[in-house]
Amino acid sequence: MRELIKKIAALLPGRAASGPRRLDLKELFHLFQAVLATNNQALSIITDLGEKLSGNYIFDTKYLQEAHRELTGAIEASLANFTLLTGGQYQIAPAFTRINSLISFMLTGQGETGAELILPLARLPWDRGREVGGKNFHLAELKNTLNLPIPDGFAITSRAFDEFIRHNHLQEAINFLGDSPAEGELAALRHTIQAGEPSPGLKEGIERALAELLLAPQGRKLRLAVRSSAEEEDDLFSFAGQFETVLNVPPTGEAVGAAYRTVLASLFSPGAVEYQRRLGYRPGTIKMPVGCLAMIEAAASGVMYTADPVSGDREQIIVNAAWGYGPSVVDGATDPDLYRIAKGEPPRLLAATCGQKRIMSVLDPALGIKNVATPEEQRARACLSQEQALTLAGWGQTIESYFKGPQDVEWSLDQEGQLHLLQARPLTVEGGERPADGPAPDGGCPLLMRDTGLVVRRGIAAGKAFVVRHPSDLDAFPKGAVLVAEHDSPQFVRVLPYVSAIITDIGALASHMASVCREFKIPTLVNTGQATSLIRHGQEITLECDDEGKSRVYDGLDPEVLARRKPSGAGMEELFEFRRKKYILRYISPLNLVNPLVEEFSPERCRTLHDVLRFLHEKSIQQIIDSARAPKAKGQVFQLTLTVPVVIRLVDLGGGVAAGTGPKIGQEQVASRPLAAIIKGLTTPGAWRTGQVAMSARDLLSGIARAQELTASGGVDNFAGISREYVNLGLRFGYHFNLIDSYCCERAANNHLYFRFVGGAADLVKRSRRLQMMELVLAEYGFMSKSKGDFLIARVSHLEQDELLRLLEMAGRLVAFTRQLDAELANEEDIGLYAKRFLAGDF
Amino acid sequence: MSHSVMIIDDEKIVGDMAKLSLEQDGYEVETFLGGEAALARLTEKKFDVVVTDLKMKGIDGLEVLRTVKRFYPETVVIMITAFAHLDVAIEALRDNVHDFFPKPVKIKELKQSIRKALGEG
Repeated sequence: MRELIKKIAALLPGRAASGPRRLDLKELFHLFQAVLATNNQALSIITDLGEKLSGNYIFDTKYLQEAHRELTGAIEASLANFTLLTGGQYQIAPAFTRINSLISFMLTGQGETGAELILPLARLPWDRGREVGGKNFHLAELKNTLNLPIPDGFAITSRAFDEFIRHNHLQEAINFLGDSPAEGELAALRHTIQAGEPSPGLKEGIERALAELLLAPQGRKLRLAVRSSAEEEDDLFSFAGQFETVLNVPPTGEAVGAAYRTVLASLFSPGAVEYQRRLGYRPGTIKMPVGCLAMIEAAASGVMYTADPVSGDREQIIVNAAWGYGPSVVDGATDPDLYRIAKGEPPRLLAATCGQKRIMSVLDPALGIKNVATPEEQRARACLSQEQALTLAGWGQTIESYFKGPQDVEWSLDQEGQLHLLQARPLTVEGGERPADGPAPDGGCPLLMRDTGLVVRRGIAAGKAFVVRHPSDLDAFPKGAVLVAEHDSPQFVRVLPYVSAIITDIGALASHMASVCREFKIPTLVNTGQATSLIRHGQEITLECDDEGKSRVYDGLDPEVLARRKPSGAGMEELFEFRRKKYILRYISPLNLVNPLVEEFSPERCRTLHDVLRFLHEKSIQQIIDSARAPKAKGQVFQLTLTVPVVIRLVDLGGGVAAGTGPKIGQEQVASRPLAAIIKGLTTPGAWRTGQVAMSARDLLSGIARAQELTASGGVDNFAGISREYVNLGLRFGYHFNLIDSYCCERAANNHLYFRFVGGAADLVKRSRRLQMMELVLAEYGFMSKSKGDFLIARVSHLEQDELLRLLEMAGRLVAFTRQLDAELANEEDIGLYAKRFLAGDF
Repeated sequence: MSHSVMIIDDEKIVGDMAKLSLEQDGYEVETFLGGEAALARLTEKKFDVVVTDLKMKGIDGLEVLRTVKRFYPETVVIMITAFAHLDVAIEALRDNVHDFFPKPVKIKELKQSIRKALGEG
């Protein structure tokens, strides 16, 4: 790649000693087309990869390596053409190399990883995510990219984990674990980890990071939350509640070291091992980075879902809130306040229910956290004001749109009333399908409960009830039984492979257990208030949580209800190898560079190969627009006269003018499809504004001055560079200039329309009104636009040819309609009025 | 009684994905990472369908095919292979392979092929 770039650099103007000649428009246009062609080739490979990795195909590593090789080749070819086209002015090659090396590393295991043991979240580069684990990475993104309020903190990396294992000679003991290790073996390993020592390098790193944290305003009052952030945690699977979190840790190296060991040891708790096994991990193969975050002194805490995980409704946000710290909510120990909020700008409160909140989590003065009874006077009081709930919802929308999917977000409200975010991870949401024929009739067995509690996961299941009174009861849990318990508990995970359904007396939609039940598709009903008193241990029961979120529990195994059961189907996502391979798509497919009109549209913001391709495409367009404006464009030159009073100098770059015509042509000889569409718009009967406009002396003077300014900056009167599929048209009407640039072919991925308007004869206020009117119209047609004073840029891309031709015709009409319109726009109301008239065809 | 399917491929992901999708349709599936282990298992149990990769270290797909056909002529053998080896796979047609698929294999088509071979419609 480097060699290739060097070779190209030698060809660039001003680089070689002899100074190669400048490329003319025709040559540049060919390069532009070559960029489009190679980009398309790359995009086809990306699409194919997405399809083959969708779970509908069986693939192997060889296929991925081959596809990646082809993709790399196509992008390198595109980059080579792009560098020639743009004269090497953009530093995009390093971004491509960085992203591509991440992909290669995942495919081959070859490549460099960072040597750091500690990485501060505030300075975490986006491409180091795997070294700090999912939870830490997401927090860093919230802080550094979305500027949301996250506590200060640092990550102890996967490299540090390796070093801890090595320093304490633990690898042998880990290797010794079989696929299903006995509890005794696991307990011994946990004990050894707890007795281990961080290496001197890690100790020093932790001390240094703590010293930095202690400089923060919280200073001496600082307490830390030491949290697991395992490699895949908070990713496709949440690992919710599987690993330890140690709260209220004093900011000393010794205390953090001890908490670190506790978190590491929790990798080998029976529940966590079972969860890992279920996801295809052999015990001991997952690495455990850890996060150390400054704790918020929480007045209230809770969880926000940016979709309803049960009904699948993605238009609603659900916020749970309880007094004190978070554990009472995520452990399902309390009955929290519940807010339902409709998404939108701004979000809107739909309903608020005050929970009983009998239990709250508080700091234990010694260490850690404890649950206590909530003081009576606080129970009936809502934890959040409406404004605070809506603020959270607004942030939730931002996070969801950034991570491109529903999120499960933990938050805290501090003693000063400020909100903070503590975690964001993907939320498992059920499909939104609805039965057409309404709720199903009751089954034949007698009903034990109807519509009590909260449905956490829909579905139908039956079996013998197994009432769990104590965690040790789980040791005897029989395969296929229905787990009935007083409270939710993440400890249930270790028996989940055998559980057909779960019913509890107390519990919340947002608990860790709820998350895991949704991931593993286990029908679950919580907060019934009476399950353990109504259901006997050993009693055969049937649970039905239907698509409407209603629930029924029957006494007995009900064949009618069971016949309604739909196969849940384990997803390919549960296969470890599948997830690992599919991970490469994260650095290939998503598109983060969306709007080319903003500053963030830069090589530094490219995080995927798709972003790189998008950058190449947009900047190539920009280059061709600029080059076509150069007065010495080479090509066959024509003079085009329209039926409205406009004459245009045409340079044909290939197929833009019908064959066999002389130097003077009429609009019927134009073979360029995009130019023909614009002309059709320009000459739409009635659209062309004629007649004298009343203009003040001030308007006129201001217009002349602006026109001189613009002409001096290189504008050329009525010029177009065209091909059969391309147009770059510059028009000057009196005191304003229009530029329309469009590539319009049968392939939507190639297509764009760029529209620029500047100047005018009237004073700046009126000129700006005209632009506002145009922006209203263009927004109606789906353009992205940016304007300042009397300058407007708008663009659309990736449209089908027919749709683009429709927009080009509209653009032609708009140019015709807005000639001299500025002087007519006497007041602000006229802006909307004229936009409506234009859209209605009332010229 | 449900039909039994043996999957042989030296890459784990192939067996895992095939097993997960075929089990959803009620097949009993066993997976093997190479020809040796698979042939050893075949001495103990007859399978209705064998889906095997063509190119594998040691005993390859063609050898698996010949052995299966010698001992269990009625067992259906389906070959999967990298696109580059399609010509060899076509050769294998002469040795009574029921069907072959280039990788990546569309799961729906593999299932259809198995159903057809077993006379399930």
